[in-house]
Amino acid sequence: MHILHGAWVPRDTDDFFQPGTFYLWVETAQLLQVKPGYKIKHLDANELDEFLVQNLGITGDSAVKNIRQRLQTFYHWLPSADGKPLPSPELARWLTLPPPEEPTIALICCAITALPLNDIFKTLKELHFLVCYQRNDVQFGQDLLFWLHFSQALRQVLRKDQYIPALRYRELPGKSKKASAFAIYPGWEIAADSFESQLQWALSRMPLACTAISASASAQPLYYDRLELLRHFAECLLQRTVKGVSFPAAFEKKIRGSLLDQCLAETQSLPATSQALERYRQWQSWRQAVATRYSDDCQLGLQLVEGANETAPWQLLLLAISKQDPSLKLRLDEYWQLDSKVKKTLLKSFGGNLEEQLLRHLGYAARIYPKLWQGMATDRPVGVTLSIEEAFAFLREHAWVLEDAGFKIIVPAWWTPEGRRRARVRVAVSQSKSAPTVGKGYFSLDSVVQYRYELAIGDQVLSPQEWEQLVNAKTPLVWFRGQWIELERDKMQQLLEFWQQHGQEDASMSLAELLRKAAADEEEVDVSRNGALAEMLGKLHDQSQFEPVADPPGLHGKLREYQQRGVAWLQYLENLGLNGCLADDMGLGKTVQVIARLLFARDTAVGPTLLIAPTSVLGNWQKEVEKFAPQLKALVHHGSGRQQDAKAFKADCQAQDIVITSYTLVRKDVDLLQRIPWERVVVDEAQNIKNPKTAQTKAVLKLKANHRLAMTGTPVENRLLDLWSIFNFLNPGYLGTQTQFRQQFELPIQKNNDLQKSILLKKLAQPFILRRVKTDQAIIKDLPDKLEHKQYCNLTKEQASLYQVVVDEVNAALGDAEGIQRKGLILATLMRLKQICNHPRQFLQDGSAFTPERSHKLERLVEMLEEVIAEGESLLIFTQFTEIGENLERYLSRTLHYNTYYLHGGVSRIRREKMIGEFQDPATEPSAFILSLKAGGVGITLTKANHVFHFDRWWNPAVEDQATDRAFRIGQSRTVFVHKFVTLGTLEERIDQMIEDKKQLAGAIVGADESWLTELDNDSFRRLIALNRNTVMD
Amino acid sequence: MAALTRTWWGKRFIAALESFTDPNRLGRGRSYARSDRIQKFSIQHGQVKATVEGKINPYFGVYKTPYYSTTVEITPIPENRWPDIIKRLAGHAGIVAKLLLNEMPDEIEDTFTKLGVHLLPRNGKDFKTQCSCPDYYNPCKHIAGLCYFFANKLDQDPFLLFELRGLSRDRLHKELAKTPLGKALAQSLESVELPLQPVESYYTRPQRVAVGECSYDYFWSGEHRLSTTLEPLSPLPALPAVLIRKGGDYPPFWQQDQSFIEVMSEFYERVRKQLKETG
Repeated sequence: MHILHGAWVPRDTDDFFQPGTFYLWVETAQLLQVKPGYKIKHLDANELDEFLVQNLGITGDSAVKNIRQRLQTFYHWLPSADGKPLPSPELARWLTLPPPEEPTIALICCAITALPLNDIFKTLKELHFLVCYQRNDVQFGQDLLFWLHFSQALRQVLRKDQYIPALRYRELPGKSKKASAFAIYPGWEIAADSFESQLQWALSRMPLACTAISASASAQPLYYDRLELLRHFAECLLQRTVKGVSFPAAFEKKIRGSLLDQCLAETQSLPATSQALERYRQWQSWRQAVATRYSDDCQLGLQLVEGANETAPWQLLLLAISKQDPSLKLRLDEYWQLDSKVKKTLLKSFGGNLEEQLLRHLGYAARIYPKLWQGMATDRPVGVTLSIEEAFAFLREHAWVLEDAGFKIIVPAWWTPEGRRRARVRVAVSQSKSAPTVGKGYFSLDSVVQYRYELAIGDQVLSPQEWEQLVNAKTPLVWFRGQWIELERDKMQQLLEFWQQHGQEDASMSLAELLRKAAADEEEVDVSRNGALAEMLGKLHDQSQFEPVADPPGLHGKLREYQQRGVAWLQYLENLGLNGCLADDMGLGKTVQVIARLLFARDTAVGPTLLIAPTSVLGNWQKEVEKFAPQLKALVHHGSGRQQDAKAFKADCQAQDIVITSYTLVRKDVDLLQRIPWERVVVDEAQNIKNPKTAQTKAVLKLKANHRLAMTGTPVENRLLDLWSIFNFLNPGYLGTQTQFRQQFELPIQKNNDLQKSILLKKLAQPFILRRVKTDQAIIKDLPDKLEHKQYCNLTKEQASLYQVVVDEVNAALGDAEGIQRKGLILATLMRLKQICNHPRQFLQDGSAFTPERSHKLERLVEMLEEVIAEGESLLIFTQFTEIGENLERYLSRTLHYNTYYLHGGVSRIRREKMIGEFQDPATEPSAFILSLKAGGVGITLTKANHVFHFDRWWNPAVEDQATDRAFRIGQSRTVFVHKFVTLGTLEERIDQMIEDKKQLAGAIVGADESWLTELDNDSFRRLIALNRNTVMD
Repeated sequence: MAALTRTWWGKRFIAALESFTDPNRLGRGRSYARSDRIQKFSIQHGQVKATVEGKINPYFGVYKTPYYSTTVEITPIPENRWPDIIKRLAGHAGIVAKLLLNEMPDEIEDTFTKLGVHLLPRNGKDFKTQCSCPDYYNPCKHIAGLCYFFANKLDQDPFLLFELRGLSRDRLHKELAKTPLGKALAQSLESVELPLQPVESYYTRPQRVAVGECSYDYFWSGEHRLSTTLEPLSPLPALPAVLIRKGGDYPPFWQQDQSFIEVMSEFYERVRKQLKETG
C-alpha cells in the first residue's frame, strides 16, 4: 500500500513576491517479522523514481525527464510517537492500527523528499484516475484528496471565464515625506462570487495537515492560516496557469501595450507614473461592475411569456428576485401598481434601494442583450415585447448567456429539454415477419421487423404536405396544433428529402437493431402499429408493467409481490427467446424467484437446467431448492467422486431438473458439460464471468442452452466491463465487440465522465436487466422491517479433515467421561468445532494464512460484503471470537481496502464512541463494523448499517437478536437484512435445525448459554456433531 | 495610433469642432492632445480651461517653450430649462440606466430637441474659443488640441457635457433627486472615488501561527469528510467573457482600437482550449 500525499508550500521569503510549490510525496509501510511489526517510510529519491515513474508512470510534467534531478526537500510536521512519525489514517487503516486517541499528539518535523508538480491540474487528474480505476494498492491521503477537490473548484473558475485582468497597488516606503512612492503590478484575480463560497466550503474540509508544512526546517511547529494558504494557492495557480498559456503572434500583436498584455507578461511593476495610477483607478471602478461580488439584495429576473395563440405577441417580463429569499419573485408590472405602503414593506426584502439596483442590473443585462433598452423608454419599465424571431433568438442564445452572467431566466416549459418536441424521421414498425403470436422463441434478437419511415414532430405524425408548409413557414417558431414549436428548417428540409427517397420503401431490421435505435432516441421509433411489438417494447422498457403471477403450484413458501413480478419478467423474457439478468439487491430473494421459474417451466423443459455458482454457495443452492421445491430433482456435480463418464453423465442429467456445479468445474469439465443440450444455463454471481479472457468465462460461453440467465447482486450497470461480459454471455453482439464497447462507452464514461454515453448505455442494457433495490417504494411496502436469512455454506476439504479428527477424538473420549468432566468435554468440543467451521487458522492457532480459499464461510462472507459495499451500504459483523474479529479486520482493511472498525472488549470508551460516531457519519464511506458479540451488546446504535452478519452462532436466538438490534433501532428507516451463517453437514446445521424446530419453546429449552446442549445423551451428541461427508466441497 | 475618442458622443463633439476648423490645425491639435502638452485642465462655470505647451518657433519670434492659456466654452443652456430637461431624462429608465453605467444614452438628444435645445454642440455657432497664442486663426491648433483632449475625457465621463452646458454637478443632483429613478442615479453619482487598496504582498501572504494542542484525528481530517470522487465539471459557458461584458466595451483603461470584449473573448477561449489539452 502506498499513500500519495500533496503539499502546497509557500516559499520562505519576505519578498513582495512569494511563490509556492506543489509537492507530491509518498508514504508506505514495510511489514516486519519482528515487533513492532511495521516501519513507516516516506519514499526517498530512489524509491520515488521507481514508484512514481516506473510504477505509476507519473513524471510531474516537466521537460526534465529524470525526476531525480527535480526532487526537492520540504518540511512537514507530522504526528509522532516515540520520536517516529505515525502512519497517516489511510496507511493506519491498512495496517489495522487504531488511531491514537490522546487529545494531544506530539508532532515532529520530517524532511520530506518530494516531486514538485508543474501542471498540478493534469497530474492530479491522472493520479485520481489511476487510483479510482486502475490501482487499489495506491490511495490518496486526506491532504492530497483535499487539494484535488480544491483545484477542481479553481478549474471551474477557469472554465467559466470568472477571472479578470487585475492591478495591484503597493505603497512603497516613501523617501520624501511628501509624495508617497508606489508601485503597480499587473496580474490576475478571481471575480466570481461563487469562488468565495467555494473557499468557505474548502475551509471546513481542509485538514490541518495541509497547513503544517514549511519550506525550511523550524524548531517548533507552525501552521499556516488556512484561508490565507488557500488564497495563496489559488492566486499562484491562477497566475501560473494563465501566464503559461501561449498565444499566437497575431494575438500578441493585437494586445501589445494594453493592460491585458501587461497582465500576461513577466510580472514586474509598471512605471510609477500618474498615468499608471489613473489606470489603476479606472480598473478599480471597472472591476466593481464586472466582479459579481455585489452586496446587492436583489437579482434581476427575465421571464419569457409565449403568445397565447398564433398572432399574440411574446413578452419578456422583468422580475425582481430577493436574494435573501429567492422564492420571493415580483413582476415589475405588478410592482409599479403597488401603493407606497405595500412597496415599503416589500422593499425590506430587497434591500431598500430597489430601483437603483434594478436599473443598474437592467443596464448590465441590456449590455449583453440590447433589446432590453427598448422596454426602458418609460419611468416604469416592465419588459419588452418580442417578435417571434426575437423570441426564438432569445431562447436559442441570449437566455443562457444572461443566466451565466448572473440573471435569473424563466422560459416556457416546452423549451426545456424535457418539454421539447423535435422534428424527426422516425421508424414506424409495421409488422413482423411471422405472425404475432407470443410463443416460444418467436422473438429473438435476430428476429426481423419491418418498418417504414414517417415524418413526425414530437410524437405527432405529419403528412408531407403539412411538413412542407412548415418548412416554408417564415418563422422559426410556429404555432402547430395548439402549441408553439421550434422549427429546424434545414434539418427538416434534409429529413424531407430523405423521406422522399426512402419513405415508400419497406425496410427491415433485426430486433437488436430496433432496441439499439430505441435506446439512442426513444422518439425515433414508433411501434404503435404493431400491437405485439409495441407491448413488448413497452414492457421491456418499463418493467413495472409486469403483473405479479400467482405462486407456482408446489412451491413451499410464499413469494412476495415484487418476487411474483420478477418471476413474470423471467417468464416473459424466456417466452420471447430473450436472455436477461436478474440483478435485484442482495437479500431480496433472487434464488427463490429462479426456483419459482424452474417450477413453472418444469413441464415444458426439454432438459435439465445447469446452475453455475461459486463453490461457496453450492450448498446454499441445494438447501434452498430442497426447502422451496423439494420435488425438483437436483444433482450437485462436484467433488472428486463426480461423474466423469460422458455417457453416464448424460443419463444422470436426463433424470434431473437441475444440475448444480461450480465455475471451477465448468472450466475443468467443459467437454463433459457442453455435450448436454441444456434447457437453461443460469450463472449465479455472474460477476464471475466478468473477465472475458479467463478460461472460466470461455468455458461458460461454450455451453449450449435454450435459455440463458444471469444473476448478480452487484450493481453491474456501473461496472462497465462486467456489464459487457455478462451481455456477451446473454446476448452476444448486442453491445458490440469488446473493443467497440471500450471505444464507445468505457473510455468516454470513465475518463471523461461522459454523461450522455452513460445514459445511452443504461437505456441499452435496461430491457435485459431487472434490478430492484431495497429503497424502491414498491419494494419497501413488501418488505418487513427485518428480514432474516440463513446463509448455508460447506466445509472445505481441509476443514472437513480437521473436523473429523476432533469428532473421532471426542467419540472415543465421550464414553469414559462423567459429570463435570463430561460437561467440560462437550463444551470444549462445541468450541473447537465452531472454530473449525469458521476457519482452519482459528482452530490451529498457528498464524497460517487467513484466506477465503480455506473456508467457504469466509469466502461467502467476502462475496456478500463486496455486494453490500458496492451498493454503498454499511454492515455489521458479529463474532464470538477475538481471533476472528482481528483477522477479519485485517483482511477487510488490508486486502479489500474497506473502511473497517473493530469493537472488542479492549476498546476504550472514548475510542468506542469515536468509532461509532465516525461510522454513523453520513459522510463516511460505506464501512464494515466488526463487533465481538459481548462487547457489542449494550447501548450502541449503529443504524447506518442495514446488513447484519452473524459469522458464528451463539445458539441462542435472544442473544443474537439483541446484537442484531444494534442496527435495528429507533432511527433505522430501512429494512435490516440479517444473514446467519450455517455450515452444512456439521453441528451448526443440526443445532440450527433444533432451534428452528423448537422456536416456540426457545426461551424454555435454550438457556442463556450453550449448556443446554450438555443435557443431550451421548448418542444424540454424537449425531449432533457427526460430519456429513457429502457436504464437503473443495 | 489609438483613436482619441471612441464613443458616439465624443465623436459628435469632435464632428462639430471639425465642421468649422482648418484641417491642418486639427491634425496638429490631435498630436497635441496625444502628447503631454495639455496641462492644468479644468472645467469651471461651463468653461474648459487648460495651459497648452506650445512649440519654439523662431519664425514667429518664439525662442523658448511657450505656454498658452486656452479656453473653450459652449453656449450654455438657459438655467430655467434644466428642471424640465432633467425631469424628462429621469422619467426614462433607459436613459437613467445608461447614465448609471457612465454612458451617454443614444436617445438623449431627442429629449433636448423636444424642448428646443440641444446637448451636444452642432457647429461653430455653439463654440466660444480663446487662445493666447499668436495664431490669428481661431480655433487654433491649441484649441483643437484642447477639444480633442476634452473629447477623450468625455468618453469616460459623459456628465462633463452637462457641466459644459452650464449645469453644475450640485444642481444636477438636486434636480435628479426629484424623481424616483433620478434619485437612484444621483445616489450612485455621489459615490466618491474608490479608495486605493494597497496590498502588502503580491499574493496573499499566508501567516504562520504556533501550534496549539491537537489530536491525531483533528490533524488529518477537516470538519467534514471529503468524497473520494469528484463532481463532474459544469458545462462550458455558451458565450465567452460574460463577466467582462457587464462592464461594457472599451473600459477606460483599454486604449486599443479593437473591441475589448472581442479580444477578451478570444483570450478566454484560448486559455480554455489549452487547459483542456493539458488536462
